[in-house]
Amino acid sequence: MPTRDSPIVEARSVSRTYRLGRVNVPVLRDLTLSVQAGEWLAILGASGSGKSTLLHLLGGLDRPDRDKANRDAGVYFHGKPLAKKSRRELDRHRARDFGFVFQFYHLLPELTALQNVTVAAMVRYGIGYPGKSRQVREQAVDLLECFGLASRMGHRPAELSGGERQRVAIARALVNNPKVLLADEPTGNLDRATGQGILDTISDLHRDRKQTIVMVTHDPHVAERADRALRLVDGVLGQDPEESVPMRPVLQG
Amino acid sequence: MPLLAVLAVVLCTAMVLVVWSVMGGFLGMLLDTGRLLVGDVEITRPVSGMPYYEDLIERLESDPEILAATATVEGPALLGVPDGRTLMVKVIGVDGPGYDAVTGFGDTLWWKHLDKPVKEDTNGEDLRLHLPEGFERAGLTLTEIDPITGDPVPAAVVGIEASGLSVRQKGGWYQSPYWEGMGVTARPNENGDGWIASAGDKQYPIGRVPHLFDDSITLSMLPVSDRGVAIDVQARKIPVANEFRTELYEVDQNIVLAPIGLVQEMLRLNRAVRVSENFDGGTQVGADGEETFGEPVIIGEEPARATSVLVKGAAGVSDVRVKEISEAVYAEFAKAHPLEVPPPSGVRIDRWDERPSVAHLIGAVKTETSLVLALFGFISLTAVFLVFAIFWAMVSEKTKDIGILRSVGASRSGVGMIFISYGLVIGLVGAVLGVSLAFVIVHNINPIHEWIGQVTGRYVWDPSVYYFTVIPNQVVAWQAALILVGGVVFSVLGSIVPAAKAANMDPVRALRFE
Repeated sequence: MPTRDSPIVEARSVSRTYRLGRVNVPVLRDLTLSVQAGEWLAILGASGSGKSTLLHLLGGLDRPDRDKANRDAGVYFHGKPLAKKSRRELDRHRARDFGFVFQFYHLLPELTALQNVTVAAMVRYGIGYPGKSRQVREQAVDLLECFGLASRMGHRPAELSGGERQRVAIARALVNNPKVLLADEPTGNLDRATGQGILDTISDLHRDRKQTIVMVTHDPHVAERADRALRLVDGVLGQDPEESVPMRPVLQG
Repeated sequence: MPLLAVLAVVLCTAMVLVVWSVMGGFLGMLLDTGRLLVGDVEITRPVSGMPYYEDLIERLESDPEILAATATVEGPALLGVPDGRTLMVKVIGVDGPGYDAVTGFGDTLWWKHLDKPVKEDTNGEDLRLHLPEGFERAGLTLTEIDPITGDPVPAAVVGIEASGLSVRQKGGWYQSPYWEGMGVTARPNENGDGWIASAGDKQYPIGRVPHLFDDSITLSMLPVSDRGVAIDVQARKIPVANEFRTELYEVDQNIVLAPIGLVQEMLRLNRAVRVSENFDGGTQVGADGEETFGEPVIIGEEPARATSVLVKGAAGVSDVRVKEISEAVYAEFAKAHPLEVPPPSGVRIDRWDERPSVAHLIGAVKTETSLVLALFGFISLTAVFLVFAIFWAMVSEKTKDIGILRSVGASRSGVGMIFISYGLVIGLVGAVLGVSLAFVIVHNINPIHEWIGQVTGRYVWDPSVYYFTVIPNQVVAWQAALILVGGVVFSVLGSIVPAAKAANMDPVRALRFE
């Protein structure tokens, strides 16, 4: 079990409202959550429950609503508020400390598997990249080999199967050695067997590299693999009763 | 899609550069050839002319900054050509060598010996190849040797497009229309007193070539008294010593050069005696009853007159300076001959490009060039919009990819820069290709023009409209460079707004975009 000292990522009273036309749609409401270093946290929720939004907020891809009453509200990384970071710092933070994995892989179609992995490092280092390219390349090759993609590195995403694509996406998320891996329905678009393979890969990362993982899913069976699962219903977190997870049937889609 | 953008940039840059090169080259040719027959500065007193012009020339030439000066007499004339047609021309009476020193007219003489055929003349059809060395000498002195008396007689040098008896061939040389389509060529015989015409394998000795320079023309001119009254028509039949070609169609088509003495005589501007008006004209009976014929009482002499004095500055002296000197010299000259020569206010002293006919032409071409350039430049702005539209579509298409890059930490400016550098590359590739294309087109514009003419039956570049018989085909380096830079700048401009759109895209939404 993870240590209970200072959390690596925290959400304190976070709300997020989207404007749809003239209507304000609250997606997350006053949500508080903390993730410990080395922990694998699953957030279980139905479609539209706000779980992707929560992941985007934690990863600094999106910002929560401003809460004038509670100045401490917001997302914290190692106890420091993301709200105080400039856009550029947030970009750098996202490149260095987080790795995103999405349900639909989100690979760049023109690039090969290997290039899709190295592009994240390219973005992180910018003009400093050429100096690091050998090292990055080696690491990307290691990751892809480790995921059983040694023979697929020169292939474009269209030539890869769903499971292969998702493993490329995971390799991309890991190439910058992020502190936290954020996975948004990583098995949602895969058949059961392939999904299990992906979960095994994530599980290995968690076990072998002590990788901190936050994963959102609608599937209780997937959530079971994590150290801890939280249920998100209509933008509010449930009270973390693990036994309650299977009790509510969750609808697909 | 990026290829479309490149193509748009290629076409726009090529178009503008071609237009600029042709029109600019046209202007350059006009400026070069415009001074061919006029020198740097012209001092003019039309119709009645200036007396004592020899003194004026001497005064001008004594200035170290003046290379040479020469007198001319000009007036309108009717030109009768050997095949019976009569044409309106301008006759300029010149002193051959002096005129050559000021205007370089010797270089424009067409019929002179050529060692090598011109590039297009692959069959050696150019008659000049068969002319003896020094053929142009007669043209330079404007005299021919009378075959009977052996004395030099005045001869004319005719603009090559004037008579219609020298027909320009596609390769740029001239031939008699009588030979057109007959496949006949001619060359002088060994004795130099006749010609040998060859058609196919057969050769015919012929007495003379039916060619203008070996024939005579008739010039009719109308002298006018100083009160503007026409006196009586003067006509002379004179041989043609040569033809000249400045390439300026209007000049080649309109001007006949003749010896100055002849033209002065025809226009009644030559030296004459002045006689008493009281002369009764009759005979007188002496004291011895003998009749004596009345002698007119000579009371003075009327000096010869010139309508223009052309001035050429020494090397490195600007035409502005030559004009200043000419004005100063003329003022002194007028002081030295009070009441005999027109006062400085009575003559025009013009730089070559200020002469009304040339200035009008240059002004028109300058206006036309900038107009056409502005028009095409404006059309080229479409390149900006094309790049803009294409990039806008590309940004929409790449929305998800933009979201992916943002999710792995790409900054807004980073995403924007991707599109701007893309625009830069497209502009660079397009502009380089476009400028190269323009080079190819401009260098081959005459064959292309010829080809279009053959295919469509329409020759766009009509020499009577555009003054020159060939289309300018040089690209100026700085213009090419400017267009190149312009193409790149426009492409980058076109990519800025789509780049900003990409940069400002919400990454979360971009990721959800399908």
